[in-house]
Amino acid sequence: MAEPLVRMENIRKSYGRVQALVDANFHVNEREIVGLLGDNGAGKSTLIKVLSGAVPLTSGDIFIRGKKVDFRSTSDAIAHGIETIYQDSALVTQLSIARNLFLGREPIKPPRFLNRMDQEAMNVVARDLLKQVGISKNIPPTTPIGSLSGGERQAVAIARAMHFDSDLIILDEPTNNLGVAETQGVLSFVRSARDSGHSCIFIAHNIHHVFQVVDRIVVMRRGKVVADDIDPKSTNVAEVERIITGMSDKEIHDAIVQGKQPQG
Amino acid sequence: MENSSIIQRSIARPEFGPFVLLVVELAVFWGFNHDFLSPQNISNILAFTVELGLIALAMTLLMTSGEFDLSVGSLFGFSPVLMWTLFNSDLTSLEAGFVVALLVAAFIGLVNGWFVTQLKIPSFLVTLGMLLVVRGTALFVTSGFPQRTWSAEGSWLAEALVGDFFIGPFRIYMSLFWFIAAAIALGYVLTQSRTGNWIQAAGGNPNAARARGVNVSGVKIGLFILSSIMASLAGVISSLRTSAANPNSGTGYELEVIAMVVIGGTALTGGRGTIIGTVLGILILRVMRNGIVLIGVPGLAYNIFIGAIILGMMALHSWLERRHQAGT
Repeated sequence: MAEPLVRMENIRKSYGRVQALVDANFHVNEREIVGLLGDNGAGKSTLIKVLSGAVPLTSGDIFIRGKKVDFRSTSDAIAHGIETIYQDSALVTQLSIARNLFLGREPIKPPRFLNRMDQEAMNVVARDLLKQVGISKNIPPTTPIGSLSGGERQAVAIARAMHFDSDLIILDEPTNNLGVAETQGVLSFVRSARDSGHSCIFIAHNIHHVFQVVDRIVVMRRGKVVADDIDPKSTNVAEVERIITGMSDKEIHDAIVQGKQPQG
Repeated sequence: MENSSIIQRSIARPEFGPFVLLVVELAVFWGFNHDFLSPQNISNILAFTVELGLIALAMTLLMTSGEFDLSVGSLFGFSPVLMWTLFNSDLTSLEAGFVVALLVAAFIGLVNGWFVTQLKIPSFLVTLGMLLVVRGTALFVTSGFPQRTWSAEGSWLAEALVGDFFIGPFRIYMSLFWFIAAAIALGYVLTQSRTGNWIQAAGGNPNAARARGVNVSGVKIGLFILSSIMASLAGVISSLRTSAANPNSGTGYELEVIAMVVIGGTALTGGRGTIIGTVLGILILRVMRNGIVLIGVPGLAYNIFIGAIILGMMALHSWLERRHQAGT
C-alpha cells in the first residue's frame, strides 16, 4: 500500500496533568476526504492543532509522505502543504478578497525595490479562483471580506488553500452557523478541492454534513482514535453516534430518559 | 445610474465625512472673517500644521497596525533639547547632534515596540511609561530651562528643514515639502506596497496574518520606530523654525495627533487606515484652532470644539461602518 499523505503515530499531548491525546494514531491518504468525529473533549481539536503546528506535541511522530517532520509553528505546517481553515479566524475582514488570498505572498511588480503589489495580477487570479470554488454570484475580488457571508468566507479560505497547492486542507467546523444553501456550497467546495487533487480533514458537529462529503470516517474518544476506517456508504448515522459515545442504543436511551448527557 | 453609484461610493468612503467637515469649517470661518483665507493666515496655518502632521502620518500607520504611541509629544520636546545640548556643549556639530537625536528616538521606538510585541503589554501602558521617562529626562537634563538656540543661522540643516521662501504672497517653509513627501510616501506604503497589506492585516487579524507567515511583531516594531523618528524630526523642525528648545514643548500633542488620525477615519482598533483622511483630520484641527481665535472665540474654548468634532466624527464613522458591514 502506498505511503499515506500524512501519518501521525502515537501522538501524546498533555496540558499539565490533563491528557488531551493518548497514543493517537491517524492518517490521511492522497485525494481523500476524512471526516474526524468525536464528542466534546474527545481530542479532535487538539489533534488538529498538533497537525497544523498551532501547539507542540508532547511525544509521537508526524510523517508527510513517509518523511518525518517537526512543526514549530503554523507557518511550518503551511510550508509543508498543510492548511487549516478555522471559521472566520483565517481571514482579515478589513482586507479585500484578493489581498486576503495573497496575504504574506503578494506578487511584486518590478522594479522590486518599490515593493509594489501587483494588484491587477492578484485580482485576475482571485476572479478565476472564485469561479473555481463555485461562487456563482459576481463578486468583485476587491470586495472586503467583511461584507461576505459565512459560506463565501469559507469559499475564499478554501480557494486560497487550493491556489497555494496545499496538499491537505483541514476544515474545522466549516458548516457551523451556515444556512442550508451555504452549507451545500461549502460541501461542494470540499468536493471540488478533492477533485483537483487535494486531501481534506473535515470536522463537524453535524454528522449528516460529514456523511454527505467524506470518503472515510475517523472517530476519537477520550484522546484516542477508536475507529479509523468507517465507510460512510456502508454504515449509518446511528451506528457512528454509538461509536462516538461508546454506548449501546439502550445506554443512550437510558441516559436520555434519566436526563443525563452521554459521557464522551 | 452610473453617476449615482459614483456618488454613493464617495459617500461610503471614510474620507468623505472629514472632507465635508473641512469644507464647512473653511466656509464658516471665511464667512465670519474674510481675513481667514488671506495669504498671511494660510501661511501661518501651514507652518505649524505640518509639524504635528508629520507625527500624525506615522501614527496613522501605527494605528492601522492596531497600536498607538503616547510618547510622541515627549519626544517632540526631548529631541531638540538633546540636539541643542550636544551642540551647545561643543560635543558635536548641529548636524551630528540631529543624527544622534534621530538615533536615540529610533532606539526609544525600538524599546516601545519590544515591550509591546515581546512582553505583550498594551501599547497604552508601554508608551505612557515611555512618555514619563522621556519627558522626565528632558526636564532633568535641562533643569526645566529652555536651551540656547541662537546659533543655527546659516546651517544647511536648518535651511533644508525650515528654510523659507515666498511663492507669490505665500510664505512657505521647506517643512511643507517634507510633509508632502512623507504623506505621499506613507500613503503609497499603506495602499500600494506589500508592507501596507501586512500593516492592515496585523491590525485587522494578527493571528491570521501570523499564520500566513507575516512577521507581525517586526511590522509593529518598525512602525513604533517610524513614529518615534517622525516625532523627533517634527520637534527639531519646530525648534529650528521658532528658535526655541523648551523641554516642555509638545505636552499634550499625543492626544491631538491621535484625534487627527481618528477624525480622518482610521480605526482606533486597527485594520483600517487612511493617509488622505489623516491629512484632512490634521487640517480640520489646525484650521479650527486658528479659526476660532481669528473670529474672536476665546482660545481657551478650543478644546470644547475639538471634543465636539471628535464625538461627531466618531458617531459618523461608526454609522458608516455599520452600513458597510450590512453590505448596503
